[in-house]
Amino acid sequence: MATLADSFLADLDELSDNEAVVIEEEDVDAGNMEEDVDGEMADIENLNYDDLDSVSKLQKTQRYVDIMQKVEDALQKGSDISNLGMVLEDDPEYQLIVDCNALSVDIENEIIIIHNFIRDKYRLKFPELESLVHHPIDYARVVKKIGNEMDLTLVDLEGLLPSAIIMVVSVTASTTSGKPLPEEILDKTIDACDRALTLDAAKKKVLDFVESRMGYIAPNLSTIVGSAVAAKLMGTAGGLAALAKMPACNVQLLGAKKKNLAGFSTATSQFRVGYIEQTEIFQSTPPSLRMRACRLLASKSTLAARVDSTRGDPSGNNGRALREEIRKKIEKWQEPPPAKQPKPLPVPDSEPKKKRGGRRLRKMKERYAITDMRKLANRMQFGVPEESSLGDGLGEGYGMLGQAGSGKLRVSVGQSKLAAKVAKKFKEKNYGSSGASSGLTSSLAFTLVQGIELSNPQAHAHQLGSGTQSTYFSETGTFSKIKRT
Amino acid sequence: MSYVLRTLRKKREVDTIIRDTIDKVLVLRFGRSSDPVCLHLDDALCKSAREVSKFANVVLVDIDSDEIQVYASYFDITFIPSTVFFFNAHHMKMDSGTADHTKWVGAFHKKQDFIDVVEAIYRGAMKGKLIVSCPLPSERIPKYQLLYRDV
Repeated sequence: MATLADSFLADLDELSDNEAVVIEEEDVDAGNMEEDVDGEMADIENLNYDDLDSVSKLQKTQRYVDIMQKVEDALQKGSDISNLGMVLEDDPEYQLIVDCNALSVDIENEIIIIHNFIRDKYRLKFPELESLVHHPIDYARVVKKIGNEMDLTLVDLEGLLPSAIIMVVSVTASTTSGKPLPEEILDKTIDACDRALTLDAAKKKVLDFVESRMGYIAPNLSTIVGSAVAAKLMGTAGGLAALAKMPACNVQLLGAKKKNLAGFSTATSQFRVGYIEQTEIFQSTPPSLRMRACRLLASKSTLAARVDSTRGDPSGNNGRALREEIRKKIEKWQEPPPAKQPKPLPVPDSEPKKKRGGRRLRKMKERYAITDMRKLANRMQFGVPEESSLGDGLGEGYGMLGQAGSGKLRVSVGQSKLAAKVAKKFKEKNYGSSGASSGLTSSLAFTLVQGIELSNPQAHAHQLGSGTQSTYFSETGTFSKIKRT
Repeated sequence: MSYVLRTLRKKREVDTIIRDTIDKVLVLRFGRSSDPVCLHLDDALCKSAREVSKFANVVLVDIDSDEIQVYASYFDITFIPSTVFFFNAHHMKMDSGTADHTKWVGAFHKKQDFIDVVEAIYRGAMKGKLIVSCPLPSERIPKYQLLYRDV
């Protein structure tokens, strides 16, 4: 059994390799591993134990005994309305409640440890049970009922588990690979189960006590989220004043499970919800609205906690009003949107047409642009009569087309401005700028065959350049006028 | 159809509505609700009244009422139904290829035709014209013969 325990321990991969090595070397019967009862680490403990008492020490502690005693007394005394005049923190009952909160967290951890213990021991008998029954207390009850029995038809599990699970358990038990436990192991296991159940009962008592007192300590908060959740929130926050000081985003996350252990899937993890998840309002909202509802609940419960911490409204009316508000809001979210009405047509010509720009549009517009030839024909020189198609002033006038000094009659299709730009870029890219980037860059084309070519592709494009375009600083411009002096 | 569009029976009502419709085309349908062509027209008017509501106002005038006979003779209404268009209390004429430009005689083939006509009138009116040309092709325009008094 020692080797079995060792191999199981080695399988637990939560701890680093160092620790695992240390464990293997340790003496098995020593059972002197320090257990970590710290509430923060919910990870699986790596313990080497044989005796229950070395594992679960809580029930022996003085603190536990004291608090349980006080709780019993208080529960028996029944509800007595503590004097409201006293400041909350001085009330001895309040202190008891704070202790109870801490204790309930400790009890929970303790139960987990005991559950591990039972599970490890019972693995020899019925290994599959731990994957069928997850809840620690249910598991303990089932183990106690089954005991060392090999035939599950003789065991009555009614009331402990849902019927479907009972069926699955019975079927699995008939094909299990386990063997009956030796006597002392069985005793220890049953002992552990008993202890787990007593701890569970104690926890319930503690929680009941806190819940009953919640109504006096924080009436508004308990109206909104319910006394159990309110008690948990207060416990985790460390008091009503501390809870009131927290911003609502923190309240939302109180009690949220830590990041998942390595290797476990995060697909099922509820994102960023804490104890608020257990309130009935949250449970009753449809899943799609749950995140919004959670935020809403957290904010309103923070407000209620603030009211309670200053004892502003002992009757709980504020809480009820907030709860009503929350309910109304959630209902409103679930309303279907209003039906669409067909819109009337807009007034004609009221919206200015959206004009687009861009290269594509410019190219398209060039197809319909006025050509140079037409431009020349539209203009006339001063004092010079124009020629016309039918001669003598009849027919269409030719304007400056064909007149001396304006170029040829046949105006070739000049390159459009866009094409000129493109050609220039192309030339620069291919032949490189010859260093001169300012002023009068001439397009010297060095071709291998014909030697130096002087070409000026902008000649026609700039014949009719716009008046506003300055040719003085133009990069592509040419000499505008050369006079012989 | 009268539950959707207003029907006027008094001269004063017609006056007020012509005066009070500002910056919107006023469509006055002269007709009676028992006539089948009139019903056809009314149907188109009802369905498009809401769509055109931002730049037009559609109103029905019952031609059988006594006070309205004044208008019937003023506008020279002989065919039922006849539709007269106003904009800012000016009477708008439309050249649709028929003999009478002052009114629209008959029903429309489709809702869209009516909307097109109203839009054309609106555009023309906003430009300051008092007569516009009809945007519909001639097959969609109901044809009729004008009766002269002695012929």
